[in-house]
Amino acid sequence: MNRIKKIFIISIAFLFLSSSAFSKDTIKIAMIEPMSGPLAAIGLDLIEGLEFFAERINKAGGVLGGRHLEVVAYDNQMIAEKTIQQLRKVIDEDIRYVTQGVGSNHALNIIQTLKKYNKRNPGKEVMFLNHSAVTTSFTNELCDFYHFRFDANVDMKVAGLVTQMANDPDVKKVYLLNQNYAYGQSFQAAAQRLLAERAPHIEIVGDELIVPFGKVLDFNPYIAKITKSGADTVLTGNWGPDAARLITAGANSGLKVKYYSIYAGIPNAMNQMGAKISTFTPIIQITESHENDPDHPAWLKEIEAEYFNFSNKSPYADRQRWMMEMFAAALEKAGTDDPTAVGFALEGMKSRGAKGEVFMRADDHQMHFDMVISHISENVEKPFIYNGENYGMGYITDGWIETKDITLPTTCKMKRPKKS
Amino acid sequence: MDVILFTIFNGVLYGMLLFMLSSGLTLIFGMMGVLNFAHASFFMLGAYFAYQISEFVGFYPALIIAPLVIAFLGALVEKYGLRRVHKFGHVAELLFTFGLFYIIEEIVQMIWGKVPVGYHVPLSMDFSLFTLMGMSYPAYQMFVLTVSVAIFVGLFTVLTKTRAGLIIKAALTHPEIVSSLGHNVPKVFMMVFGLGCALAGLAGVLAGNTLGTEPAMALMLGPIVFVVIVVGGLGSLKGALVASLLIGLMQTFAISLDYSLNDLIEFIGFSLDAESLWRILVDLTIATLAPVLPYLLLVVMLIARPRGLFGTRDV
Repeated sequence: MNRIKKIFIISIAFLFLSSSAFSKDTIKIAMIEPMSGPLAAIGLDLIEGLEFFAERINKAGGVLGGRHLEVVAYDNQMIAEKTIQQLRKVIDEDIRYVTQGVGSNHALNIIQTLKKYNKRNPGKEVMFLNHSAVTTSFTNELCDFYHFRFDANVDMKVAGLVTQMANDPDVKKVYLLNQNYAYGQSFQAAAQRLLAERAPHIEIVGDELIVPFGKVLDFNPYIAKITKSGADTVLTGNWGPDAARLITAGANSGLKVKYYSIYAGIPNAMNQMGAKISTFTPIIQITESHENDPDHPAWLKEIEAEYFNFSNKSPYADRQRWMMEMFAAALEKAGTDDPTAVGFALEGMKSRGAKGEVFMRADDHQMHFDMVISHISENVEKPFIYNGENYGMGYITDGWIETKDITLPTTCKMKRPKKS
Repeated sequence: MDVILFTIFNGVLYGMLLFMLSSGLTLIFGMMGVLNFAHASFFMLGAYFAYQISEFVGFYPALIIAPLVIAFLGALVEKYGLRRVHKFGHVAELLFTFGLFYIIEEIVQMIWGKVPVGYHVPLSMDFSLFTLMGMSYPAYQMFVLTVSVAIFVGLFTVLTKTRAGLIIKAALTHPEIVSSLGHNVPKVFMMVFGLGCALAGLAGVLAGNTLGTEPAMALMLGPIVFVVIVVGGLGSLKGALVASLLIGLMQTFAISLDYSLNDLIEFIGFSLDAESLWRILVDLTIATLAPVLPYLLLVVMLIARPRGLFGTRDV
C-alpha cells in the first residue's frame, strides 16, 4: 500500500513538473496527421521529421531568447471529420500554430474551420503551416492570410514536369492517367492546360480517370489501352497502390513508356515494386531536392547526415526543414509568438534551398523554389535507406526546373488583418 | 481480334482471382450462415506469409506452406472463437469476425511495419510467355490462371464426387441428421472454415506480388468479394465462379470501351448543347463507369433475383 502511494505521489509530481516545464516556455506546433490506419507510415515519418527540425532549432538556442519549439502530434486516423475534431482540441488547448500535409481534403477542413474561427476570435488567431497539401486552390480562390504553403502546388509541379517533357526528345505522345478525386482532377486539368501552352508539339493520346485508393485491382486493361494508343509517356498524379500497380502491370507486359509523375517513385514504392520494375522504364518525379544530386550543397548534406543519425532514414522532404527554419526566423523577426505578426514576417521571406534561394510569395502565401527532375536508378552513390533497410536504389538528376518556370499567376485576393 | 483475345485473357485472370477469394467466403457462409468480415484479412495474411517464407526458402515452398499455415489458423479461429460465439447468435458471430479484421490488421502492422513490403514475382517465372499486339503476356499470370483453374476443378470434384463432399454438403443443410448418423459435424465445420481461409490465403500468395503487399490491402479488397458472393448466390460455389468471371470480364471489357451515351445520341443524329447539364451525364464513358458496374449488378440482382444466380435461398 505504502509503495503504491509513493508511486502515485511521484507520478503526480512528475505530471506537474512536466506540464509546467512545457506550457510556459515552449511555442507549440500542433501536427495533425494519420498516426494509425493505412497511411500511418507517412504520417509518423513526417512527425518524426518535424520533431527533428524543431529539436535542431532548440539545440541551437531556440527562438525569442531561448524559448523552445515543441511539436505536439494529433492523430486524425485519415478521417476528415476527425481532423476537425482534433483541430478543435488544438484550439481549446491554446495552441496557436497547426501544421498538416497528408491529404488535401483534411487541409481544406483546416483552412475552412480556421477561416471562421479567426474571424470570430480576433486576437486569438491560429495559423496553418501547410507542409505538403498541394491542391492549387488553397493559394488561389481559397487563400487566407493565416495559411502558408511550403510545398509547391499541383499546378507548379505539373508545370515543372511539362517543362521537362517539352525538352525531352523522347516525348511525343502522352497518356494522362489520374485518380478521380479533387487532387487527380486538378492534376489532369493542369496537365491539359500546360501541355497545350508549353509543349504544343506533344500529342495527348489518352486521358483517363480511375477510381482512386487501391480500388482498381487489375491494371492490365489500362495497360492494353496505353499500348494501343501508341503513347511513349504516361503523365500521372497517381500515388500509393494506384501508382505501384499501374507500373507493375506495365512492366510485366513489357510496356516501354516513361512515367512522369509526382509521387509514383517515392521511396516506399520503389521498395515495394523492386529493382527490376522500378528501373524497367524511367520513373520520373519532381521534388525539391535529393541526396544524389551532383550539386547537393555541403551544408544540406551535413543536416541530412544528422537526420540520418536521428531517424535511421534517408532524407526525403526538405520542405520540412525550410518550413521550420523560416518559422523560427519569422518568430525572431516578429519578436513575438503572435500569429498575426509572424504571418507578416513570413510574407516574402527568403530562405535557403538545395539550389539557391527559396521564398514565400506574399501575394498568395505560396512557397517558390527550384525543383529537380529525377528518375529511379540502382547506380547511385547513396541508395535510399529506410529504418536501416537499404532499398538499393535512389534518384538520379535529369534536370533542374528554375523557379521562374513554375511561377504561375494567382487569383488570390488576400485580405490582411490590421498590423498591430 | 488480338485486342479481344487479350482482354478475355485479362478478364478471366481477374475473374479467377476473384473466385479464389470468394469461394472460401461463400463456402463458409453456406455452412455457418455467417458473413466472415475477416475473410480478406486471411488474403492479406497469405501475402505476408508468402513474403516471409519466400525470403527463407523461396516462392514454391511458400506457395504450399503459407496456405497450410493459414488453414491451421482458420481452424483455430473457428474452434476457439466462432464456435464459442455461435451460441449467442449471428450478430455476435458477425461482430466477432469484424473485430478479427482489425486485430489482424494491427498484428500485421506490428510485425511487418506500416509500409509495403517488397514481395516480388519469383525470378524463375519473370519472363513473358507470348506477345500479342506489342504486349507481352507474363508467364506468372498464366501460372496464376492455371493454379486457380486447378483449384476450382479440385474443389468441385471433392464437393460433388467424393464421400467427404457429400458429408460436407449434407452438414450444411441438415447438421442434426448428419450428426445423428455418427459424423462429427463441428469438426466438418472447422475443416471447411480452415479450407475457406486457406483459399483466401492462396489468393494472397498468388496476388500479393502483383497487387502490392501492405497493411491496407484487406480493407481495399473488402467490398468486391461480397458483391461476387451475393451475385453468385450465397453459399453456391458454381455461382461464385460464374459471378467472378462475369465481373472480371465485364470490368475488363468496360475499361477498354471509350464510348459514351453521347456518342450514341450523336450516332442517331441528335446533338446536345455543350453547356447543358445533361451533357455531363451523357459524356461519361463506359470506361469511367467500369468500377461501378459490379455494384450496379449487385443492386439489379438484389431487386430482380435476391437469391443470386445459383443461390437456393434469399439474402
